[in-house]
Amino acid sequence: MLDILIYGAVISAVYALLAVGFTLIFGVARILNLAHGAFYALGAYCVYTLTANFHVPLVVATVIAVLLVALFGIVMERVLVRPLRKLPPLAVLMMTLAVGLMVEQILLLIFGSEARNVPSLIESSFNFGGVLLSGQRLLAFFCSVAILGGLWLFMQHTRLGAAILAVSQDPEGARYMGIPSDRIFSIVMGLSAAIAAAAGVLVAPFQSVIPGMGLLPLVKAFAIVIVGGLGSIPGSIVGALLLGYTETIVAFKASIEWSQIVSVAAVLIVLIVRPAGFFGKRAAF
Amino acid sequence: MSALLEVEGLTKRFGGLTAVKNVSFALQAGEITGILGPNGAGKTTLFNLLTGFIRPDRGTIAFDGVPLVGFAPHRIVNRGLARTFQLTRPFIGMTVVENVVVGCLAPRVRSEGHTEVRAREMLDRVGLGSKADLIVDALSYGDLRRLEIARELVTRPKLLLLDEPFAGLGTSEIEPLAALIRELHRSEGLTILIIEHRLREFMQLVRRVIAMDFGEIIATGTPGEIVRHGRVVEAYIGRGGDDLEARLGIVTESVRGTA
Amino acid sequence: MPAWGSLTKTDVIGAIVVIALLSVVPFVGSRYIVGIMTIALCYAIWATSWDFMSGLTGRENFGHALFIGTGAYTAGFLNVSFGLSPWWGFPAAAIVAVLFSLVIGIPTLRLRGPYFALAMLSGAVVMQKLSIIFSDTTGGQDGLNGLSPMLRSQVSAYYFTLAALIATVIVLKFIALSPWGTILRAIRGDEATCQAAGINVNFYKISALMISAAFAGFGGALYANYQLQVGPDLFDVALSINIIIMVYVGGMGSIYGAVGGALLLIGLTEGLRSFSEYRLWVYTLILILILFFIPNGVIAPAWVRVRDWIRGRSAIFTRRASA
Repeated sequence: MLDILIYGAVISAVYALLAVGFTLIFGVARILNLAHGAFYALGAYCVYTLTANFHVPLVVATVIAVLLVALFGIVMERVLVRPLRKLPPLAVLMMTLAVGLMVEQILLLIFGSEARNVPSLIESSFNFGGVLLSGQRLLAFFCSVAILGGLWLFMQHTRLGAAILAVSQDPEGARYMGIPSDRIFSIVMGLSAAIAAAAGVLVAPFQSVIPGMGLLPLVKAFAIVIVGGLGSIPGSIVGALLLGYTETIVAFKASIEWSQIVSVAAVLIVLIVRPAGFFGKRAAF
Repeated sequence: MSALLEVEGLTKRFGGLTAVKNVSFALQAGEITGILGPNGAGKTTLFNLLTGFIRPDRGTIAFDGVPLVGFAPHRIVNRGLARTFQLTRPFIGMTVVENVVVGCLAPRVRSEGHTEVRAREMLDRVGLGSKADLIVDALSYGDLRRLEIARELVTRPKLLLLDEPFAGLGTSEIEPLAALIRELHRSEGLTILIIEHRLREFMQLVRRVIAMDFGEIIATGTPGEIVRHGRVVEAYIGRGGDDLEARLGIVTESVRGTA
Repeated sequence: MPAWGSLTKTDVIGAIVVIALLSVVPFVGSRYIVGIMTIALCYAIWATSWDFMSGLTGRENFGHALFIGTGAYTAGFLNVSFGLSPWWGFPAAAIVAVLFSLVIGIPTLRLRGPYFALAMLSGAVVMQKLSIIFSDTTGGQDGLNGLSPMLRSQVSAYYFTLAALIATVIVLKFIALSPWGTILRAIRGDEATCQAAGINVNFYKISALMISAAFAGFGGALYANYQLQVGPDLFDVALSINIIIMVYVGGMGSIYGAVGGALLLIGLTEGLRSFSEYRLWVYTLILILILFFIPNGVIAPAWVRVRDWIRGRSAIFTRRASA
């Protein structure tokens, strides 16, 4: 029971990171970013390359990795996504999907399909009432919570945060107020990418770092976000807890393989049960 | 003689907002009636309820004696109740004639066959004959309105609902469209229900007006009566300050025209 | 999206030329080439069936592999587990795929574009994961192996596949050119307006998905009986996306363009060697380029130009002859 509680908490925290990043770019720019998993994978691979090939200290490598992926996200939005905004939303969806697939393929070509080793920041393990938790998992939990907390403070108490909230409510209106909506889209994409990369970096030591590592996290982020409500950050956190704990319970009681279906099945079920009024189809997506 | 359309106690709530509140009225066959009301009065919601795009919370709708609540929109059309939309969205990427042919394929009229011939005939009637083979994307707003009317007419409706047919049209396009509607009413004996809030054209077109505000019917009568009705005037003047002068000017003008 | 219009004599002649060229392949190509082409023809069937639903109605389905894998596994089960002749697999595959299309289509077709796309994608992923979990029945990652072949020679398998593709294109194009097709294209234009024209939009969407699934499942059975094995990779996201890219290259909604797109893309990656390694990222690169520069596709618009040029020239010829 305690092991489910503790492991569930760690998983949920990381999922919350992934989901919040995903819902952020949707809430602000109405982009369902199917490359979100790619950001996550790139974060892990960047840290790997920096530490293994360039012998950069782990903490520094982490920061550089997150910044690099943020930059990648900004460039992707600017160069590949923004020009397609006037096309139907499926085009943007396909584009982000294409980017995600390309990144995975390029990682496969460069690194091969063997799992890579990323060193842990904290080597030791901790004992919580009989449950053994690795230091890295504990770190992942606290860092996730810290990042989310920092994000909340940022959104509530800075001018940029307020601008982002304004754009998410009404991009046109925000523009009339002098807020550069387009630039905000890029910034938020960079932020979203950074958060996803941070998640990738935090879990890299205890998850397998393979080129396809981003697919399931993407599906899970999507599942969480549509359960919790697209564009809602608190909703994403609640959804993350739901999914994280459901998965952990299924993993402990049944098997790991079954737990992986939970998120995909959740996507299907929520999409089907979600009310879809007919006139909703006439309005813009 | 029973009415063609009988609406009783129709109500629809969206969350905390009651968009349509206890609306009851009847339309006789062959009438051309108007629904008047400021923005947000619930007019389009009423149309959506009548045509099956939304389900009412309460109330009944009887068309030609048949209760319509719970029918899907396409079934209602196949019973003879057609409608146009406020925001005209044609079948893009297809030609004008193909757009109308789709209407000819509705089960109600499909057995008549000769779909392209009938479509072209209808396009001639609404004045789009010369543009039949153009791709629909090239049409002006006014022409798109005519196209939509043509598409609905080929389904041989008994009742046609027009949702703000004059919205977004320039002055040169309004009068011909009004003339077309008048002519269709005269020659086909079509029962027509129009939503508008461009008063002048509207008032000269309709025989009877149902005025709505805040989801309720506040008055019914001839255009002349409605325009002098206290609550109606208040609904318009009490709302948007813009257009106030214009609206007052048009109100008194059409009083002179139709009283 | 351009309307692909009606069938002209030039179109028919063009089709005959293409069929003739494809028929010659076993005479001029090595065993390896014939094998690649057989697979390419399977892709063409899958792509054409996708185009019929998603190209015409505009409701893009990101999980077409669901029907392919379902058809393939059905054929595989009947062949391996039940020992039936491979020929039973074809109708069974189509029927089972259609059943699956009903199960997933009915609840999801009312969803807006991107949500429908992703729901279908999820459906395919769920089936993929289930086929791995229930490895006792399905053989897990290794799948079903040792199917007994339906035809003895590789060449006859090739011609059978070619015949299947020709039949697929003829049937689907015929429907697309009929009033049925007009309605499907109207659904792409605007669903509410379509409803207001008295058309039962749900019926047409579901039936289009069912038809699409039937042909995709059939193609899956073909593939299974050719490769003599079935695996979970037939449910893969990559397969669904590859097919979509082939149709984008061919020209959405044209039906025949999808065939050209499939042949072109498979030919392209063969030219690059290392078939599976490079395929996906070259394809996604092509998709990105197409989305940016040629959203109407390459094959069908090119053919329309060529065809109109030919008709223009032959019209001059006949005019001169009658002068």
